[in-house]
Amino acid sequence: MNGQGRDNENKAALSIGAKDPKAIPRRTFIQGLSAIGMGSIFFSTGLAKEAKAQSVSTYIDSLSTKQLRTMYTEMLKIRLWETKIKDLALKGGFRGVAHLYVGEEAIAVGVCSALRRDDYIASTHRGHGHLIAKGGDLNLMLAEITHKATGYCKGYGGSLHITDMALGILGMNGIVGAAHLFGAGAAYGIKVKGTDQVVVSFGGDGSIQGSFFTSAANSAATYKLPWISIIENNQFQIWVRCSDVYAVRDLARRADGYGIEGRVVDGNDVLAVYDAAKYAVEKARAGGGPTVIECKTYRWYDHYGFRGSKIGRDGAFGLGYRSDRELREWMAKDPIPRFRRFLVNEKVLTEELADEIVAEVTKAVEDAAAFAKAQPVPKPEDGLSNVFAEGAVPLHKN
Amino acid sequence: MPKSMSYAILEAIQGEMRRDKLLTLLYEYQQPATRWANRSIDLEKEFGRWRARFSAIDENWIVGGALGMSMIGVRAIAHIPSMTTLIPYELMFNHAGKLRHMTGGQAAFPMVLWADMQGRSPFQAGQHADAGLESCYARLAGLKVVIPSNPYDAKGLMISAIRDVDPVVFCQYPVPTSGPDVPDEPYTIPIGQAVVRTQGKDITIVGYARQTLEIAKAVEQLKQRGISAEFIDPRTLAPLEQVMVTIIKSVKKTGKLLTSDDGSYSFCNCTEIIARVAEAVPGVTFKRLAFPDAPPPGAPEMINYMRVSATDIVAAAEKMVRG
Repeated sequence: MNGQGRDNENKAALSIGAKDPKAIPRRTFIQGLSAIGMGSIFFSTGLAKEAKAQSVSTYIDSLSTKQLRTMYTEMLKIRLWETKIKDLALKGGFRGVAHLYVGEEAIAVGVCSALRRDDYIASTHRGHGHLIAKGGDLNLMLAEITHKATGYCKGYGGSLHITDMALGILGMNGIVGAAHLFGAGAAYGIKVKGTDQVVVSFGGDGSIQGSFFTSAANSAATYKLPWISIIENNQFQIWVRCSDVYAVRDLARRADGYGIEGRVVDGNDVLAVYDAAKYAVEKARAGGGPTVIECKTYRWYDHYGFRGSKIGRDGAFGLGYRSDRELREWMAKDPIPRFRRFLVNEKVLTEELADEIVAEVTKAVEDAAAFAKAQPVPKPEDGLSNVFAEGAVPLHKN
Repeated sequence: MPKSMSYAILEAIQGEMRRDKLLTLLYEYQQPATRWANRSIDLEKEFGRWRARFSAIDENWIVGGALGMSMIGVRAIAHIPSMTTLIPYELMFNHAGKLRHMTGGQAAFPMVLWADMQGRSPFQAGQHADAGLESCYARLAGLKVVIPSNPYDAKGLMISAIRDVDPVVFCQYPVPTSGPDVPDEPYTIPIGQAVVRTQGKDITIVGYARQTLEIAKAVEQLKQRGISAEFIDPRTLAPLEQVMVTIIKSVKKTGKLLTSDDGSYSFCNCTEIIARVAEAVPGVTFKRLAFPDAPPPGAPEMINYMRVSATDIVAAAEKMVRG
């Protein structure tokens, strides 16, 4: 059944690619980018400046039509799949929890588009987007988030712990900052193995203050590990405003203290994120060591759950710790229509083709919901298995 | 002179590093180099710095790094000094012990946390003379915990720990050289199996690591006083199921269980062993000897009074047997 879900996914991706009747020649994007205010890196920390790193549009220009369309498709998948979760949950009877990523899609897609399939990512509690962007199967993810026996983790993990090790996903992780540390550890393992893979660790703005980030960053810098840390600064640590708990405004500045290049990019601009990530990935592959990239963005929903949201409406309003006006301002910077406008302007997509992609993704999401609903629940006694590789632990009730 | 504990452990790791070309050791200042007779081991020299890597004083890196690399199939050993054995506790509690289960069996951590442990030594005080921390790890689901009492067991348990696909905490208390000679060749001691050190019929005495020296002395003294004690060394503290089979079989025979532990009285690891025997065998007489619920003082007069000695074990056993 799992295999079937994956096949459906592959077919969907293929059919979108097939709707490309005439190849569009490669473009020079720079003019188009500046016209629409995309592709710009806000800020490089001291070390990045010293390294005289190429800053803008070095890599964007080489993106193929197919890659650009895939990026748009992946962003939509994240948006519509998570919106479906929200709607299902608000209807009632939803077997699970969720920390929604909506609004931050450009980061996951920008970063993962710069990776190879055999590269690794380590994800967070807000990680659905990372998994989808790394190739995660919508069906198996939705089955897992509703704790079905055929989900990615057989129902053991749920939303916070979805993993597909075969795609190089070292787990979503419910403990803030852990992804930085395990990612850096995996990067050390890559050096021991002697391959040219890289690891991306995702973390929110709250993930860099605990000791895990320090341990990861210092080791990655000292040993020049192929490690890229993505700080998704959505401006809130649960409900605490970032600026109320950090004295520095640009968190990537911290990178300098470890001897790492830091970048600050517009996290709602998928091309800016891609450009920074691609630079970091190429550098890491060549043995140039780690990079920290801070992506400024905004969380459309509450930290957790669906408070303040409605079926058929985007965003969570009336949350108390933020103003609705602030949310509306950020929703106006929605990364998806912004990217679509750009792709249409650049003739990578037509409006009609873009609509077709929306329809295909909508259908894939509906299929995922139907797939998950039809899946069996786990056997109760399976909770005693997978503690160790072999056997089951005793129940101790008799 | 037989091989020391540290030589036996490094010999185990050396053999496994030759066998598994990716196996990597992360450590702080405890250099993986030692001598015995006319031989020496130097892991950094033999395998290079990438595979035997000293770190900053950063236990979260040593353990977190080892966990991360083990996730991608690079087996790793994380060596942690005794006074900071619990700094990486969160990593073992919330990640090492849980990830296999949380991911439905997809993710594995084939790593070893090699934790140096202290043994209630005088002149150290508080932070550098604590003991019993193995019970903190043994209570965590998903972890295996082994605790050797002599160099022979140390080598066999370390090799088993390295080859295990689940995370293993290897607790090394400073134990003087004793027990059987350590063969040069690799060998394994199965995780999860206790060993009966001395056969007896009047009372069962359970203890591990440094307490095995006190118990061994006590067993001899009890013998001279006409009491036949059966002495069991659990060697593994988690999972405990098979260990308990050995202990329960013994207690069914003797009807009496005395435990001796360098850990603190409350929640020492032997408390768990007593509870499991109490559930399984009716009518048993129990006594738990352990360090008082106090930090270890530095002055020898105080700490030697507080820790469990062979004399304490003899007195408790005599009282239990003769009433």
